[in-house]
Amino acid sequence: MRSTTNTIWAVLGLALILVLPAFAGGQWVKIFTSTTTFALAAAGAGFLYTRLGMVSLVQVGLMGVGGWVTLRLNHAFNFPFEINLMVAGAVTMFLGNLIALPALRMRGLYLALITLMFAAGLDIVFTAKQFPNGAEGFWGVGTTFAADMRRPVVAQSDAAYLRYTMVWLVIGFVLIELHRRMAPGRAWALIRKSEAAALASGVNVTLYKTWAFGLSGLLAGLGGGLLAGSLGLLDSATFRASESVMLFALVIVGGARFWYGAVIAAVLFRVVPGLLNNWGVDADLSLVIFGAALLHAVMTAPDGLAGQINGAIRTLIPSRKSDNKGAKA
Amino acid sequence: MIKTLKTAGTAMGLIFAAGAAFAAPSCGANTGEAATGTPIKVGGIHGNAAPGDFSSSTTAAGAYFDCVNANGGINGRPIEYLVENDQWNPELASQAASKLLVDEEVVAMVGNGSFVEMSVNAGLYKEQNVMTMASACAASECFESSNIVSTNQGPLPSSIGAAMYMVEEKGAQNVSCIALTIPNSGPWSCGAAVEYMESKGLSGTGVYLNPASPDVNSGLLEAIASGADTIIVNLPVGLAVAVLKAAEEQGLGDAYQWASSTPLYDRDAPAALGDYWDGKLFVNTEMTPFDKGGEDATNWLAVMDAYGDAKDPRDSFSQAGFLSAKIFVDTLLGMDPADLDDRAKVTDAITAISGYQSDLVCGPFYVGDAARHMPNHAGTMVVLKDGGFETVRDCYEYDSPYFAPIFEQEAALGLR
Repeated sequence: MRSTTNTIWAVLGLALILVLPAFAGGQWVKIFTSTTTFALAAAGAGFLYTRLGMVSLVQVGLMGVGGWVTLRLNHAFNFPFEINLMVAGAVTMFLGNLIALPALRMRGLYLALITLMFAAGLDIVFTAKQFPNGAEGFWGVGTTFAADMRRPVVAQSDAAYLRYTMVWLVIGFVLIELHRRMAPGRAWALIRKSEAAALASGVNVTLYKTWAFGLSGLLAGLGGGLLAGSLGLLDSATFRASESVMLFALVIVGGARFWYGAVIAAVLFRVVPGLLNNWGVDADLSLVIFGAALLHAVMTAPDGLAGQINGAIRTLIPSRKSDNKGAKA
Repeated sequence: MIKTLKTAGTAMGLIFAAGAAFAAPSCGANTGEAATGTPIKVGGIHGNAAPGDFSSSTTAAGAYFDCVNANGGINGRPIEYLVENDQWNPELASQAASKLLVDEEVVAMVGNGSFVEMSVNAGLYKEQNVMTMASACAASECFESSNIVSTNQGPLPSSIGAAMYMVEEKGAQNVSCIALTIPNSGPWSCGAAVEYMESKGLSGTGVYLNPASPDVNSGLLEAIASGADTIIVNLPVGLAVAVLKAAEEQGLGDAYQWASSTPLYDRDAPAALGDYWDGKLFVNTEMTPFDKGGEDATNWLAVMDAYGDAKDPRDSFSQAGFLSAKIFVDTLLGMDPADLDDRAKVTDAITAISGYQSDLVCGPFYVGDAARHMPNHAGTMVVLKDGGFETVRDCYEYDSPYFAPIFEQEAALGLR
């Protein structure tokens, strides 16, 4: 039964990757590309919250780091886009590990505050130093025309690039799922129940907590690198600390326990403001909508919109009740 | 005697401007009949969010297009003007351009005004073979790319013009230029003003504010600490007023000489600044002063009064938006009607513009097939006086090595 569900999701995902870029207009291709990159970061925040109960309020800041590294490498060397992206992911994974160090001693609100302070620090650096645009020097910021951003050979057009980012999102989900099913997943489950019990069972708590933050950072870095490839130019306004808080809030609204909760969070984060803009309504109204949605999630839907969708599916197909766990990421 | 003449001149100007408010606008074919044919789609992108509102350029362009549509349109076809707001956000700027160019298939972009969108979209404009006739351009890409040409000057020439006047007329020795820390806007333009000072054997520094949370007091302190005798405010109008208000509170108005680039040339700015700055603040204006008169300057006010809102700003960017729209309409009217929906042919027609005369700018407007465009590089200096502005130096060309390639283009086109 589980394999049937997975097959259905795989077919749906493949159909979406093929169909969405072909039929979305130019503006929506751009919006969906941004949405996909933020879904990667949201998936990282969601998995960290679900598996270890740890709150990361630095995901969008780490996306900025990923974007910075991708742009820096693009303008400094002639490497293929994928190499730049991988290096960006590696750098943010390392930063994630670094942030994990206080996580070993703190939890709950205090840990969230530490990550928020890290995001605020990145915010200041981005504003002061800006993003590389092809000039010389370490920071690479010039005052004249920005140099070209090389896209992947297979994804030169906007539509192809959207497909490319969607494939990366799938890779991100698969990576999380593989972790969940293997030793780290079992270790995280034990740590979440009781760190003392985990230690007593011989689980290396330091290693696995650091590992989780690293994975979350990797996903955010990949998202930021992909966003840089889409726009060719980044601005500090995109990576404010407040954006990280907003993304985490939407992860809760979307539903952190389910992989498609990250997609819902990213859709709320980027598609809703896009829709409001298209309707001629001030996109800041989305903040009011998000606030109401968060209240709704906290009060009535602890598993978020994804949890409600999952509940509806279970109601419609009672035979799938036993399969509930399979949908969880 | 001179004072009497100046007062009389100002009074004449005011009467002229007041008269202009009641003059009938003249637009396009001027038939007096509304256009009813298939619309011609034209796009425009402005930035309107903190730290500034640059929408007056598209507002003025929109007012002129409305006037054209009410007066026969383009051979009976109205212009459908689609305007997007980039909110100073590169993501939104990219989405807006894709919407207009890919989804709506506009034939040209007119009246654009932003710090951000040109930087993100300059490549797309070239790829899509569309010309952008911008009006409130404030980034280097506006003036250093093939498919953007602007009727305004941008912060670089305007800051150099302000510095040049303060050096030549007020004996400035050390200038501090305050701008936003957006690399291809603030450091680009203030950097050029500093280079101008250094080229004259004088000194200059740039002071840059964070657009997300501009701290005007610390910006002022940094400018003072640089040892400057003259401070050039090179910021959007709202922030520029905030800097000058902070300077007023600290009693710095008489301790330093003050100048500004064009954003402060706004009809409402003198009232916002108050009497304290009377005679103290010198502003470079990229376009013709409001009271100078002239056919286009008069028509701009008439169009804004008839087709705009009373609350719409009457500033340099509004003048530039009007002028871009007017040049664009005149270009379309000169085209074969069968080619009006062909973006490539519209782009060719815009590229062919040369020697277009308007009293709203000091020199002729031209485009040409070039890798960079900056047709407007001469301006006017005014001083805040009696609740308005008074011209202190009429049309003068700026002196900087930056303009050398522009002068070469003009010589090749026979305009110099």
